Amino acid sequence: MKNRRMETHREIRRSGNRNALLPKRRLWVLGALAFALNGVAAPKMVTVQYRFFTGLPQMDGNWAALKAASDGKVYVGLACHGCDGHLVLYDSKTDKMVDVGDLTRLCGENGLRQGPQSKIHAKFGEGKDGRIYFSTHGGWWFDYARLATPEGYPGAHYMAYDPKTGQVQDFGIGPRYEGINTGAYDPRFNRIYGLTHPRGHFVYYDVATGAKVDKGRINNWDSICRTLGIDDEGNVYGNFGRGGIFKYDPRTDSIRELSVKIPIQPKGISLGRDYNKGETAWRVVVWDPETRKFYGVEESATILFSFDPNAGLDGEVRQLGQMCIPDFANRRNVPYATLSLTLGQDRKLYYAAAGKEFDYGGSAGLAASHLITYDLRSGKIEDLGEMRVPDGRPVIGSNAADTGPDGTVYFVGAVSVEAAAGEQNYGGKIGGIPFRLALFIFHPQTD
Amino acid sequence: MKLKMLALLAVAFLVAAAVYGQRDPDYDKVVVLQTRIDARDLGYPPVDVIPDGESGITSLTVAPNGNLFGATSGNHSHLFVLIPRHGYVQPLGVIPGATAVTHAVAVSATGDVYIGTSPEGRLLKYSPQDEDHQAIQIGKPLPVTDLGQPVSGESIFALTIDRKAGVLYGLTSPSTHFFAYSIATGKSTDLGVVASTIPEGEKFDKEKMMSRMLVVDQEGNVFASGENGTFFRFNPKAPKLEELPIRAPAVPGREPWTRVDAFLLDPSGAIYGGTSDGYLFRLDPEKLTVTNLGKPLSQYRIDGLVRGPDGKLYGVGGDKDDMARLFSYDPSTGAYNLLGFVDVNRRPYYTWQAYVIAAMASDDYGTVYIGENERISKLYLFYPWP
Repeated sequence: MKNRRMETHREIRRSGNRNALLPKRRLWVLGALAFALNGVAAPKMVTVQYRFFTGLPQMDGNWAALKAASDGKVYVGLACHGCDGHLVLYDSKTDKMVDVGDLTRLCGENGLRQGPQSKIHAKFGEGKDGRIYFSTHGGWWFDYARLATPEGYPGAHYMAYDPKTGQVQDFGIGPRYEGINTGAYDPRFNRIYGLTHPRGHFVYYDVATGAKVDKGRINNWDSICRTLGIDDEGNVYGNFGRGGIFKYDPRTDSIRELSVKIPIQPKGISLGRDYNKGETAWRVVVWDPETRKFYGVEESATILFSFDPNAGLDGEVRQLGQMCIPDFANRRNVPYATLSLTLGQDRKLYYAAAGKEFDYGGSAGLAASHLITYDLRSGKIEDLGEMRVPDGRPVIGSNAADTGPDGTVYFVGAVSVEAAAGEQNYGGKIGGIPFRLALFIFHPQTD
Repeated sequence: MKLKMLALLAVAFLVAAAVYGQRDPDYDKVVVLQTRIDARDLGYPPVDVIPDGESGITSLTVAPNGNLFGATSGNHSHLFVLIPRHGYVQPLGVIPGATAVTHAVAVSATGDVYIGTSPEGRLLKYSPQDEDHQAIQIGKPLPVTDLGQPVSGESIFALTIDRKAGVLYGLTSPSTHFFAYSIATGKSTDLGVVASTIPEGEKFDKEKMMSRMLVVDQEGNVFASGENGTFFRFNPKAPKLEELPIRAPAVPGREPWTRVDAFLLDPSGAIYGGTSDGYLFRLDPEKLTVTNLGKPLSQYRIDGLVRGPDGKLYGVGGDKDDMARLFSYDPSTGAYNLLGFVDVNRRPYYTWQAYVIAAMASDDYGTVYIGENERISKLYLFYPWP
């Protein structure tokens, strides 16, 4: 299998064409399938480039773990449930994909016969020293029998990748038996922050002092806030309860629960998605250094809001619109919001909206993602159309986004592939169709 | 290789629903049956509740009239009551000078509530006064009578009462003094210590070991565990604190770090208990024998132990880094039953799971109360099978 992968990689590099992976007749079938997904009328489309994660077809998910660093390298955490996740980087200057390594080995835990390091499930951060900081997560709980037990999973590691040396430094386990479900790095205070899974504790690692701190519980396990926002003063924000916002101030090392709440739409479809998902928090927020506000979407109906943490005592929240695919607007069955929100260098928010409930192998079915923008200058929301790769296949879904230093917008998500006989060349299936993870690349000025 | 990869893929598909969703119906297989458990906020939400960071429930006890009293630990300690006829938690006020009250609330035969505090080590008395007609006012001080500090310089670590004799008994921290307080005379007596040295170990082992609770048997004798897991008995007739030749069950080699987490006096006269290593045991207070009943869970700690209306014992196990699980023990058969995580799922109204438990109590109506001890905590009501 290894040889086959290398061969495929060589083929791609030789031809310079990603489509060389697929015979033309298969492309035709996939193209027809893609068209059928959207009815008869030709939909509005936006073309995105894509790169597979070479040699890692079995990776089955990615959530939040995407960072377009200042040197042009793009870092991605690939998840593998029941197996080892991987840290990969894409060098945008050389168009080369590099597998930095499997996380269990990087953590020194191979051979332990415990739950593996299956994911980087949170955002990366770039330090003033140029290193990329992150933390790990588990992905195998033995049918919940070993959830948060010593036998189930050793615990999340805090780590840093140094692009100068290509080495990963392991700072050791932080929360015992738990993973970091949500995280962010703050270069100002040089700390990796996290919310743990399953116990929903707010934790951090102070890189300079080596202190590992647990500030206690914030969320329930099934509704852990999925993004921590950090402002330019190093304050950390997240959600608790029903849309409440908490603020952690590193100067006082204390958490304060603010009086403001984000807008949340009442629950969705009874005993459907709302049974599975909390829908009480923002899904993702991004910090805009120009307006000094957060912009984000909440989980239930993809409501776009701004949060100004400096307005008044507790900040101010404003509802700005809805970032879902326009056909879903004001309906109850808006697909669960994705984590794919980023602020472009053109003062626009870019959001990859799901066409159906999207969660990789747990998705409700096949549908194309749409690229939705919000112009911070005009306040206008625009649907750029279905996201499709150059051969016409749709981006089935995405759960991470970031903007590179040159303005390129990156997403990580799923695209359909043809299953190979006797070989695992895909990460899972959505609506019976095999998918594979890919890095999607969008150039706002040219695409 | 191919077969291995295909098998891995098959496993991944099988677990996909379980791992991708934030909560899937499969999770209900590992929690307490949802028609047998409910939760209460500590007050009247969203405003009039004991604040996060002050809500960890570390003491629970049932008064002679059936009311449940509890105390919290955190930035401040609060006293609360749950009157079964109403069913809600009513915060009564902030306990003066306290940031922790650990298994240290006791109610006398007359209904007065005695509270042992940390870090100041004061013994306080609260006299219930028409709670039915009091509005909840978070932050107001609890009106108490200060009965003094039973042992100078020491916090109160545990407290219990002999209602018939009208005597409170307590343990103090850090020096493990055992004391008695006579309600009639208002006099405290220091009766000695149950541990004299800190067990040798890692740098984080900084405590002398003593039981987290005390228990009074049917004869008025008081039992505690001390150094090396050894049992101590105070015989009020002697009156003397004596070290007994019996120990709490421990993983061999861990005796110096063993303590009794929970005690329970059974109507049969036997004392049941749970240890820091997670063992359940039965202590015969007459014969002074200890029977190791084994471990109900693979986890450490027995965070609470009570008797249900069906004669079974109900307990919760799990350490502070763990996820607590509820179990039952049937003394008539010796059988354990694992009941699952302490989780309440009332979607779309509320859902919450307790990961750390610090106190339990049960009442004559058959309700088992379970107190969560985290930054954000709830009180759980478990209704055992008839």
